[in-house]
Amino acid sequence: MTRRGPVLIDADAMLGRHPARDVGAGGVAEALASMDRFGISEALVGHTLSWLHDPHTGNRALLELVAGQPRLLPCWVMLPDTCAETGTSAEFVSAALAGGVRAVRAYPVDHGYDLAGVDATPVLEAIARAGLPLLLDAAQTTWPQVEAVAVAHPHLTVVVGGLGYRVLRQVAGVLARTDNVHLGLANLSSHCGLEWLVERFGEQRLVFGTGAPTRDPAEAVTRLLWSELDDGAVSAIGGGNLRSLLRKKARAA
Amino acid sequence: MNPLTSALWERRPQHSLRIVDAHAHAGPYSLFFIPEAGPAAMVRVMDRCGVSHAVLSSHLAIQLDAAAGNAATAAVVEHAPDRFTGYLTVNPWQDPVGELEKWGDDPRFGGVKLHPDLHLYPLTGRRYAPVWEFAQRTGCPVLTHTYEGSAYNDLPMVEETAIRHPEAVILAGHAGATPLGFDAAIEVAQRRPGVVLEVCGSYNTGADLARMVREVRPGQVVFGSDFPFIDLRMSLGRVLFSDLSDDARAAVLGGTMTDLLQWRDSAQQARSSQVVAP
Repeated sequence: MTRRGPVLIDADAMLGRHPARDVGAGGVAEALASMDRFGISEALVGHTLSWLHDPHTGNRALLELVAGQPRLLPCWVMLPDTCAETGTSAEFVSAALAGGVRAVRAYPVDHGYDLAGVDATPVLEAIARAGLPLLLDAAQTTWPQVEAVAVAHPHLTVVVGGLGYRVLRQVAGVLARTDNVHLGLANLSSHCGLEWLVERFGEQRLVFGTGAPTRDPAEAVTRLLWSELDDGAVSAIGGGNLRSLLRKKARAA
Repeated sequence: MNPLTSALWERRPQHSLRIVDAHAHAGPYSLFFIPEAGPAAMVRVMDRCGVSHAVLSSHLAIQLDAAAGNAATAAVVEHAPDRFTGYLTVNPWQDPVGELEKWGDDPRFGGVKLHPDLHLYPLTGRRYAPVWEFAQRTGCPVLTHTYEGSAYNDLPMVEETAIRHPEAVILAGHAGATPLGFDAAIEVAQRRPGVVLEVCGSYNTGADLARMVREVRPGQVVFGSDFPFIDLRMSLGRVLFSDLSDDARAAVLGGTMTDLLQWRDSAQQARSSQVVAP
């Protein structure tokens, strides 16, 4: 695709089918075609199998799917190690790093655990030590939980996406009291909310993400490019900030 | 790449089409914080993208007080009369006849807004009768909130209203709001030519929108954003990138809504022709 504009790296995308949405087969070719359509150069991708069936199986399947696909960066799904479904916390993170995993996603609501509780602490500590960002959908947690995790693990980068338009009162307090919580653009839909957040907390707190394929990438692309932000801020949010967060992993490794 | 997405990539406003936002509001809302909820920022956002016009009802009108809220809507239109047209909000519990008499001839208003879910009153209820009488008599379009599964404004109630009032133009706001709702809204619009699907919301996608345009007749799908409840750029982006012909995109983005807002001119012409007739 030939077009002028900032480099866009999607921090919030998914492969796999969806049981309640018409998102197609969720394969690699479809994902790459969608990225081309929206001018997205790379994407951190998870797999719906890790989210909606079995994290261990889905995480392994994801690595097979993205092997040889340099534009698709794998994102695994974590569980507390209480039942050893993904091994011990150390084994989980070690396998993730060995497989080239670039970030970890958590679904505490859908997977039935307390992200800020004692059960999740070991795996969060291991993820933080490895320098892997932790990605969350707002619907999978609460803002007090996000803050508690961020405070308890000050070296852990937390990125919360899927904000909608109703949460700025809660988000603003958490962003003001922490410096390791970031926001994703997927469905960040408060009127002038992106500009307000950047003015108040700085562009470095935001990363581009689409929520594809359940969300239309057109939303995040249009929201960012027709924002009132300057080109530097758009470039940082479009890809620069995520690259910096992912480099933390390389430094930690 | 169409001229609109070219403008987007170049980060400049588009000027290739007249874009009209068929579903907008203005002002603060109690449930959540809206940065810059007033008309000045709304015009700024419209200018940033190249949106010519928005049809709006104040949040005060839909949320609490129709009388004070309709006055607030009129004030927003006054702020930028070339950019805004008002929806006259009719709350079935707050003197529908009085509000229609007070504002019905006011050119600042170009449509009627109903929000059955907020007012806990069914779209098919008798208290809305003055609205449908007004709409049928004048051609004034009526935008109603819709939501699949709602006890107050589900799609079968839109269809029942369209059957009772076949001359009325009914804008089905959010087009059912959910994937299941989109299917139902399409079916209603296929059966009822007076029903126009308006596409703002949190769950719509460009693919849904393109399917609506494919499956209903031209002129039955219009762009709306719900801003400043939701940022205008969310819904606008879906239309920009959706798989539509140039003509269809122009109709959805503004052509159809521009035509629907001409009803006062049509009524005026009808009155004039009656006066000069022997």
